[in-house]
Amino acid sequence: MTVLEQTRAPRSDVRPRRSPLGSRWTPYLFLAPAAVFIGLFQAVPLAQEIYLSFTRTSLLNPTRSTWVGLENYAHIFSDDDFHRTLVTTLIYVVACVIGSVGAGLLVALLLNRNFRGRGVARALVTVPWAAPGIAVALIATWMLNPQYGIVNRFLDAVGLGVPGGAILDSSTYALPAILVTTVWQLFPLTSVVLLSALQAVPRDLTEAATMDGAGRWWTFRAVTWQVIKPTVGLLALLMTIWSIRRFELIWLMTKGGPVGSTETLVIDLYAQAFDSKQLGTAAAIGMVGVVISLIVIAGSRLVTRAADKEGLR
Amino acid sequence: MSKPRVRRATVAAATVVGLATAVSAGCGSDSDASSEGGVTTLTFAASTFGDPGRGPQLQEWIDEFNASQDEIRVEAASVPYPTFGQTVLTQMGGGEGPDLVRFDMPEFEAASDAGLIAPLDDLIDVDQYELLEQPDRFMVHDDVRHGIIFEASNYAMFYNADLIPEPPTTYEDFFATAQSLTSGDVFGLAFRQTEAEEAGVWQDIFNYVYGFGGAWSDGENLTINAPENLEGLQAYKDLYDANVIPRGADAATFRRMFAEGKVAMELNNGGYATHLRAESPDLNFSAAPIPFPVRSQGAILAPIVINEASEAKEEAATFIEWALQEENQVALQEILGASSVATATERSPESLQEMPFLTTFDELTESSLPQVVLGFEAQTPDIRKIVVQNVIAALQGEVDLQTALDDAQEQATELVG
Repeated sequence: MTVLEQTRAPRSDVRPRRSPLGSRWTPYLFLAPAAVFIGLFQAVPLAQEIYLSFTRTSLLNPTRSTWVGLENYAHIFSDDDFHRTLVTTLIYVVACVIGSVGAGLLVALLLNRNFRGRGVARALVTVPWAAPGIAVALIATWMLNPQYGIVNRFLDAVGLGVPGGAILDSSTYALPAILVTTVWQLFPLTSVVLLSALQAVPRDLTEAATMDGAGRWWTFRAVTWQVIKPTVGLLALLMTIWSIRRFELIWLMTKGGPVGSTETLVIDLYAQAFDSKQLGTAAAIGMVGVVISLIVIAGSRLVTRAADKEGLR
Repeated sequence: MSKPRVRRATVAAATVVGLATAVSAGCGSDSDASSEGGVTTLTFAASTFGDPGRGPQLQEWIDEFNASQDEIRVEAASVPYPTFGQTVLTQMGGGEGPDLVRFDMPEFEAASDAGLIAPLDDLIDVDQYELLEQPDRFMVHDDVRHGIIFEASNYAMFYNADLIPEPPTTYEDFFATAQSLTSGDVFGLAFRQTEAEEAGVWQDIFNYVYGFGGAWSDGENLTINAPENLEGLQAYKDLYDANVIPRGADAATFRRMFAEGKVAMELNNGGYATHLRAESPDLNFSAAPIPFPVRSQGAILAPIVINEASEAKEEAATFIEWALQEENQVALQEILGASSVATATERSPESLQEMPFLTTFDELTESSLPQVVLGFEAQTPDIRKIVVQNVIAALQGEVDLQTALDDAQEQATELVG
């Protein structure tokens, strides 16, 4: 028996017992908590918003809705104020993306060079990003205060004072003021991300380009830009979506005024929902924002794919 | 093979049901009332509880009620004024919120129209109280009483008595005084003129419209672009254009400037008097009727109401009845200063000695109106938004005032149908 047992060859068709973690349900098991979370807190509210956008619902009686079909959409798209809101949103988003990514890239290029105190400078640059949005809005509002604000004092001193001094109450200057504040808060993030991308640029490539007689601009364009381009694309996408969604900074600084000059989609949505108490109209505005975001994401993926194909060729 | 599948399906279904139950458990419809050890605790929400000049005294007044019996306890909930209506109405719309609420008129009208306020007729016998007739008539809708006046505060002209020994009595004097006192960082006048303070701008322009004989409606139709309204709002715009106000300054800023002697005049309601006295005891200020052609001005009417969703309506009514008792009305009147309360009360000699102008406010009660659009009370917040936006567009020079009012009339008419 003993000999037999010792000489028995292992059966080739015997497979080791599979661990429970190896079952085909395992991925679903791990995905389930996230799926339930997303379902409960994103899919259900989104479905509810889609439904609300086809109803007339008051915030004061949210359980009593009347189905109105496309009426809310017809109403907002025929409203001149909503057209202005879309234009303002577009200006705000484009300026935010160009401003924050552009300023971030400049700062990242500076911080990527060797100079004394570079570590301190890199730490200081992150401060605006670390500051809470509400604090940034309140400080900016105080700085722009026509009576006590330092900005007006400075502008007056250099002969560039705004008539009346009320920058945030001027339909000409309010949006630029909000844009400057937004870019000031955002550029640290883009600069830190781009700095890490710049540090991934192979030094031998830039040195080779320099030895081949390329100037700084051509080295940047032919080597550095090619490496950091995907990061810039990702940042532009994130900044676009975040800018479409940005609320607290604009609301606290101007509440969308004066005369709607700083009213973006999100501000309009909030005003419709909580000032006018029209949840149906607000939901329709929200859906327009969702569609715009989806278009931006789809456009970004198309551009990325085209760039990848170009790179492969 | 089918058994494990059935079991898996059962487990999955149970998980979903369990999660749904857990989530919905936190979403019940309930007011803030709670009962423990035989004591029912009510929440009373008001923006004035956060007013440093009156909040602590109001808390003491409520403490007196709590000490007067051992079955009901009222807890004050302070909600900031700028977001008060939005916060409380959103809670009440969801079937929750405080049991007792001190509303301002536009939100009171919106809430009563939406059925969020409990009718008081079966809860409180108002016939046993001598309620002030003029403000009280706005508490009843279609013979149903929804509120009791907690505070009625008429608008008057506050002025720095060191800068202005004799207050102006005509609009021309008013304008000239404002102009003559404006110099450097001192301004002759201050009012709200920014969209960020929409409700405040509405309160301020109300005095100009009604003070020049205008009205937002005739009770049945909107009259936003009536000639009298144009005249009143032109007076408002003329002062803005004359740079006699600190442009862009919000109410908090220009009230601080008034307290510092850097603003000479301001149109404000009686509640401001106690606030000023508490915050700036050394300021030499007084009050006089607004010197516009017609003696008609706004009033802050602030009713106390019971949340329809409250589970303790009887107890809430008990508190209101206690508040209406004569000695408690007198005490409340003393706290509120230049404001009136629900019933006629005698002002104490001490109060009159400290603020001799209190009688000015009392005399304005008959000519004061709540800042709502009569006949369109529930839609006042929406009409307010339209009017304020268009008036500010005119201040900004984007359109002329007549066009702005015509636009507002058209938009508001479309809104109300």
